[in-house]
Amino acid sequence: MLLAPAAVQALQVAVVLLLSPVLSGAIARGEARLQGRRGPRVLQPYYDIIKLFGKETLAPEGASWFFLAAPVVAFTSFLMVPLLIPVLTNFPLPLGYMGDILGGGLILALGGFSVALAAADTRSPYAQLGSSRATTFGALIEPSVLFVVFAVALITTTDLPYAMAGVDRSSLAQAIRPAHLFAAVAFFLVVLSDTGRIPVETHTSTLELGMIDEARTFEHSGPALALLKWGSAVKQMVLYVILADVFAAPWGLAGSRQLGPVLLAVPILLGKALGVGAIFAVVDNSFSKLRLYKITEFMTGAFALSAVAVLVLYLGGG
Amino acid sequence: MLRYLVAAVPTPPSTFAGVTEALAVLVLLLVFVMLREALLRSQVRLYALQSLAVSALAGVLAASQHAAELYVLAGLSFVLKVVVVPAVVLHLLGEAEVDLAGSHRFGVATMVLVGVVASVFGFLAIGDVHLNPAGPGGLPVPALSAATATVLVSFVLVMFRADVVSQVVGFFSMENGVSVASLVLAARMPLILEVSFLFDLLVAALAFGVIMRAHHRRAASLSTETLDQLRG
Repeated sequence: MLLAPAAVQALQVAVVLLLSPVLSGAIARGEARLQGRRGPRVLQPYYDIIKLFGKETLAPEGASWFFLAAPVVAFTSFLMVPLLIPVLTNFPLPLGYMGDILGGGLILALGGFSVALAAADTRSPYAQLGSSRATTFGALIEPSVLFVVFAVALITTTDLPYAMAGVDRSSLAQAIRPAHLFAAVAFFLVVLSDTGRIPVETHTSTLELGMIDEARTFEHSGPALALLKWGSAVKQMVLYVILADVFAAPWGLAGSRQLGPVLLAVPILLGKALGVGAIFAVVDNSFSKLRLYKITEFMTGAFALSAVAVLVLYLGGG
Repeated sequence: MLRYLVAAVPTPPSTFAGVTEALAVLVLLLVFVMLREALLRSQVRLYALQSLAVSALAGVLAASQHAAELYVLAGLSFVLKVVVVPAVVLHLLGEAEVDLAGSHRFGVATMVLVGVVASVFGFLAIGDVHLNPAGPGGLPVPALSAATATVLVSFVLVMFRADVVSQVVGFFSMENGVSVASLVLAARMPLILEVSFLFDLLVAALAFGVIMRAHHRRAASLSTETLDQLRG
């Protein structure tokens, strides 16, 4: 059965929407096992989200309408990105050329920006602190993102995620060329920072002093908080999918719009995302969190990697 | 449309060139890690790791050019640079009983950025030298650039870090950069020349060992900052 392109595209969004909580749950479970704890149920994030949807929404006194709109804006932006990247198919769907990697990055940044703005709107010191930190570190990691995009552009002569994945698949020499490897590792570090993982942030911590991303949602409650939590799970899955399907392992995607291959791509995608998540869980348990003022060292490391990727390419080799 | 896009992509380097370049760039990246590393022992271990990459590079070149003397060189450089020299320096450090020597005169981010600028200069300088890439097996120009950048960033390490161990390791990693360059440029250099480089290194290790001990005995520290106070 041949699916309509729009149906496949909708399925891409639905898969990310519905599977992202189980990915978060599985990673939390895996981390707990690595630390010798039993850990929460894999499906726990779903229960959390359902519970929060049943609660009332409270806004701090003096907060504007944007405080309640921001979670919706962020959630919608994060869900836009699966339209642009290879999630289930290795060929671009109708809206796939709507935006390039920079466009996807812009939409992700819009989501992050609206959450930070809402946090600044609360007048709560901790939320504002989180908002200011998230914006600062987001700006510091941005040069690495740009250089990864430059590397992709030099490799593929475009900056479309589908083209990058296609080039990776085209031959082994393309997959192991140094520029691609370094850009992939630099992007891995970017994802580490963007998903609030050790060494940048302890994502399970409740200690305000070290918080960056997590502190922004302090004042939200009820359905708004549910959307924020779900949104950050979606963002995490989107970044994992980009890492796996564009840079690291763009194999196992459906080559046609037939129902069978498309459906088969779903468990393969989940498997790849879980594999990436396992690496992140191991990294989380093997390193210690950097002091806040040392985070710049991590970011310059990522920048040096991506700069080297571009330099190697610039000489016509690499 | 995607097919046309992929077809228009410039061809990647061959697998051999890719591996060579990746190893050469790994050597460069390890110098960047050395810029950051605070523990003196880890600094020496990083050097051992870097030397391992250089030995692996020699091994890859030996395999691709079927050159027996390159295998010998790879083995020798493994024994000397990965095992003997780091062991000697670690032994000296064990006697000194110092783990840390406050030596970051500048922030790590500043050092890395200066290092990035230095390596950009190295890459561009070699990029302007038009080498013939059509030699036997092809000359991996980026690997040569990475080697030049390694030498320059090692200079940054020696200049910016103020402890004896970093300066020794910086000097050694400069030698690693030169080894990569000579391997890439003229892999079939007479073995006697390559081996004389290695023995040079051994002499340097001994000389630095003596300096390290003398400095530690006099200043009770491995930081070179007190040297500023010397008056003739």
